[in-house]
Amino acid sequence: MPPVRHPHRPPAANPVLGPSSLVSTRGDGPKAAGFPGSPPPFRSLRSLKGGAPPRGTEERRQTGLIHSFTRSLFHDTPLLDTRSPARDCLHMPPGLETNFTGLDWGIVVAYLLVVTVVGFYANRYIGDMADYLVAGRTLRSGLAIATMIGSELGLVTIVYAGEKGFTGGLAALHIGVLAGFVTLLVGLSGFLVVPLRRAGVCTIPEYYEMRFGRGVRVLGGIILALAGILNMGLFLVAGAKFITFLTGIHDPNLLNWVMTILLVLVLLYTVLGGMVSVVVTDYLQFVVLAVGLLASCWLAYQQLGWEQIAGAVQTIHGDGGSDPLAGYGPGYVIWTMFVAGLVSCAVWPTAAMRACSVESEQAVRRLYIWSSIGFLIRWALPVFLGVCALAWIEGRTDLHEMFLPAGKTAYSQQAVPAYLAQLLPAGLIGLVAAGMLAAFMSTHDSYLLCWSAVLTQDVVAPLLGDRLSTPGRLLLTRVFILLIGGFLLVWGLWYPLKADLWDYMAVTGSVYFTGAFVLLLAGLYWNGASRVGAYLTLLCGGLMLLTLQDTPMRAWVDLVLARGGYQLKDEHLGLLTTILCLLAMVFGSLLFPDRRRREAEA
Amino acid sequence: MNWIEIWKWVLLLAMVSFALLAVVITIRGALDLGEMFRRLKK
Repeated sequence: MPPVRHPHRPPAANPVLGPSSLVSTRGDGPKAAGFPGSPPPFRSLRSLKGGAPPRGTEERRQTGLIHSFTRSLFHDTPLLDTRSPARDCLHMPPGLETNFTGLDWGIVVAYLLVVTVVGFYANRYIGDMADYLVAGRTLRSGLAIATMIGSELGLVTIVYAGEKGFTGGLAALHIGVLAGFVTLLVGLSGFLVVPLRRAGVCTIPEYYEMRFGRGVRVLGGIILALAGILNMGLFLVAGAKFITFLTGIHDPNLLNWVMTILLVLVLLYTVLGGMVSVVVTDYLQFVVLAVGLLASCWLAYQQLGWEQIAGAVQTIHGDGGSDPLAGYGPGYVIWTMFVAGLVSCAVWPTAAMRACSVESEQAVRRLYIWSSIGFLIRWALPVFLGVCALAWIEGRTDLHEMFLPAGKTAYSQQAVPAYLAQLLPAGLIGLVAAGMLAAFMSTHDSYLLCWSAVLTQDVVAPLLGDRLSTPGRLLLTRVFILLIGGFLLVWGLWYPLKADLWDYMAVTGSVYFTGAFVLLLAGLYWNGASRVGAYLTLLCGGLMLLTLQDTPMRAWVDLVLARGGYQLKDEHLGLLTTILCLLAMVFGSLLFPDRRRREAEA
Repeated sequence: MNWIEIWKWVLLLAMVSFALLAVVITIRGALDLGEMFRRLKK
């Protein structure tokens, strides 16, 4: 057996979220060194003053934690620094070639034009709010499956799943297997999604009101919108990294403008066409990306062969690269099953909205049974490409300094596009890039529509006592889409994030779904669930926000646990919060039952 | 069978099933798209 260079333990992963994601700026590479010829990496004012915390002994480790705690209280980084890690990692290093040509740019532009024109054309079919938000509930199962997969298989998904394959090896495939399996179970049983469709709601907070009252809907809507908008705040950066390495755009400023134009296109046709344009563009994206992904995987397999792929995984990651229990641990596997499986397909609102859009309960089941293949694929194929990138880089010693310094994986988000850039021939790489950009746009249009609909329907309209007319709601939803788009530009591209991206996304996503899962579960299946229980559950889920890396609360918790010799992992935190939400619902409902229900029982 | 072999078959199964699904959904999706526009037009 070849020697194990480094038994790798990948970082905790978030699942979902569509843009769910495992994009980590902190673990993104040797930024202290930077690329040859790249600008000096971002450093905080404190580290420039020579105040870096000592490391090594237990005492020094705790000093580092205290330093982190105090640093989080007194922010020592500038708000906008063009040398920030987020921008630094967009630089294309020398030595990486790309097959992207003028022909490929032509394919990309032609494809984007077609998608945009179709998106605008869909505006003719918008009559009322139901047409705009759920396409008039006219989706049949074939189209619903295509759009479900098209929406969930976004560019960010490919970035974080590819990263998982690169950093975790073949063992990362367990995420796709569990996601597909749980989605299949949801389809067969109709768990959560069938009763939700039966309720006839457009959004999940709308169900909150139906079951628990208006106040729960407003609070749930605020938490959902907050979590969702923050969660998608970093999609632009992740997409930008991918496109840089695939197309060979060297200038990060030029790339920022390309991504900005794409976002503006998405905003325009989502504002005008609503769910109808989302459905059409998702369908087109599904077709293009299906061809592109399958062709990429086949070519990668032909180039490398299974023996080289398996050998590279064993060399870099050891046994943990193929055995998920050894590589990730049982806690992580359970967390994956919950988040990448159940939450992704049934609780995350962009997926749940699809269930609400289809024409019948039978179609909901069909949608989930067939989409289970999509949920498997959206992890399996990018993970495989990530593993192939690992095998390719392992054979290229000139790239070790960048991607495998000291035998450890680095710049993991850029490994897959760097590999595809030299693997795919001209013409096909244009098609794949078009598919990826379409995936980028498709994820954004779905998410923009979803969060703006939540803000209009579940926060503003209930607060105004339903005095908002249909044209007023449509206008407000479109205004929210533009505002969120503006936020994404500032937050994602121009604002340097200080926190680790993965932890940030995991926490923002779970702020919503830990509480929402319990609320849906109890609301749909337990008659005794009460309004007080619902409030407590939502608030407990919101506690996840306090655990964001670099916040005083998280630094304090880490410090306390470190004294006892424990280390807090995100998957444990997420599972504990979910259990806390369950307990809050049970005890809140038992101690404070709803008066109406109590009177009915009496 | 070791983990490497398991993942090999999982990947093969995933790719074949996705290829078949893509063909079916592309055709059915196009038909459903036409139907959706017909209904919305009414």
